[in-house]
Amino acid sequence: MRTEPRTILNFLSTYFDIIKELFDIQVKDGLVRMEVLNEVLAEHDHDILNKLIEYKFFKKIQNDYEIRPVYFKMLEFILSEFKPLLPETIEKYEHSITALFKKIKEGISKDRNILLQRITDLNNEVRDFTEAVEKNTIRLISETKELKSNVDKIDYREKVRKASFWIDYYITPLNSILDVGNKNSITNRLLDISEYINVRRLNFEDELARQQFEKLYSFLAQTNDDLLKQSKTLTNELLPLIERIRSESMILTGWIEFLKNPSKSEVPFVPKSLRAYPYNNSMYFNALEYVNEYMTNVEIYLEDPAMSASDKWIFNKDVYMTKLTQELPVKNFFEWAGKTLKSEYKEIETEKFFSLSTLLFEDSIELEFDPTADRQVIRTSEMNLRVPKIKIKRHGLS
Amino acid sequence: MDFPRYHKDIVSDLLDGKFILATDAKFIELKNSADFYGKFFKETFEFYLDIKSDYAYLISEETMEMLSRDICIFLGLLCYELDKEGKNFLEEIQYAEFEYDYIDSLLDNSSYIDLIQNNNQLKNSEARRQFFGTLNRRNIIDRSSSDKRFTFTPAYKVFMDFAKNFAKGKLNAAEAEAIEE
Repeated sequence: MRTEPRTILNFLSTYFDIIKELFDIQVKDGLVRMEVLNEVLAEHDHDILNKLIEYKFFKKIQNDYEIRPVYFKMLEFILSEFKPLLPETIEKYEHSITALFKKIKEGISKDRNILLQRITDLNNEVRDFTEAVEKNTIRLISETKELKSNVDKIDYREKVRKASFWIDYYITPLNSILDVGNKNSITNRLLDISEYINVRRLNFEDELARQQFEKLYSFLAQTNDDLLKQSKTLTNELLPLIERIRSESMILTGWIEFLKNPSKSEVPFVPKSLRAYPYNNSMYFNALEYVNEYMTNVEIYLEDPAMSASDKWIFNKDVYMTKLTQELPVKNFFEWAGKTLKSEYKEIETEKFFSLSTLLFEDSIELEFDPTADRQVIRTSEMNLRVPKIKIKRHGLS
Repeated sequence: MDFPRYHKDIVSDLLDGKFILATDAKFIELKNSADFYGKFFKETFEFYLDIKSDYAYLISEETMEMLSRDICIFLGLLCYELDKEGKNFLEEIQYAEFEYDYIDSLLDNSSYIDLIQNNNQLKNSEARRQFFGTLNRRNIIDRSSSDKRFTFTPAYKVFMDFAKNFAKGKLNAAEAEAIEE
């Protein structure tokens, strides 16, 4: 007795979880083994094997089962989980399409019914071909995106292996099948057919055949658009994406190798900041000022104060550097140096002042000054110094 | 003799080790006078000028240059750690904004911790802040105004090319060795 179609669809819907699981098993193993089937049914606690056979969902192969192609294709379609076809499998359509087209041309003025049947067959072949291409593109996009998002956190070697596999066996050959620039591509063959059909749909004497040509022509036009879209997706999206994975892998390999011994490897050298030391054009006047100050020769007798070694002041660069760093940014370095010495020793001794000035040559600070600005006078214990205003920044900080 | 526009800024920026980015008005001037500047830097300083489509910089052959090495170490570690987290590091470096705290957590938990602790620019959070300051001045990164985050400028590509060539060099060396054996 023939089962009601609605009953079958309801059955598929009710037990869809089991159906999906069986589909996944067949995708993976090529068929559903008896023991695996029993496990699945036991797990869901539904004994539906009889129904699966009654509704012709399963075909028995010795002791195991296989989902019948019609159900399998439907599940592939509704789940968008297509098994990719090898490009050579897709390429077979080129032969069948070419053969049918040749026959149509040869028999154009012979038996009308055969001609109509051939046009319908050509239509079907072209449709199967575009569907196969579309399925492959969908599958390739999903595979590539999965590789890219890398939710399974597979390592690079595996990622590249997969990427190379998809490129070498699917994407590149499929692209060449669809490439309009390739004279032998199926796309170009379809364009030739389309051109031929275009003439016939307008001037063929038989009305019905003309209508069939017209239908085939519109279908081919649509197909060409679709194929162009698929080809663009492959070229613009998938290839760069996968190339990127390859390139990333290369970079990562480079870094890992480099990090094994970074001090021994040559690196891309960028020059370090150069500090320029040109002579200032006010040098003459500066020198003159010093000379004038010491022009008058007054004899001075200094009595060496009794000083033990421990009394001698030793410049502790680190202490002052830390102090300076803590107070960054400093607007006027020499003023800061003067104040620091005054707060510690009540007066600014020239020697100490000069010692502090050496901090200016430390690399970790950055100087900024306006050479045209007015100088300021700092009065030390022995002399008056005219010094520029120097702003101090820590590297990169203002 | 007439000098190109922005001549002084172009020369001082490049000599400061800065990358001049395509978004900078100086870049076009530099590109238009590429031959002049190429010769100028070569003859005057023995530096090579490299102008790419989106950045330009000077290359020196000085082997004591430590900053480039530190940048390579930093980027190498960053790529490695991002990859470990399952991210597409090239995309992250190209588009993402990095928080200092995030970088700290990546480096502090890295398996390369010995290398990091022995590197004065990367050993701790404070040193890294200074290091980012240097990278910012050289236009390798772009710090946010709040100084808590940064993005990479196209200059990062120099270092990715380096890693790629480094890998190629290693692979070629391994192949040559295999042939000899």
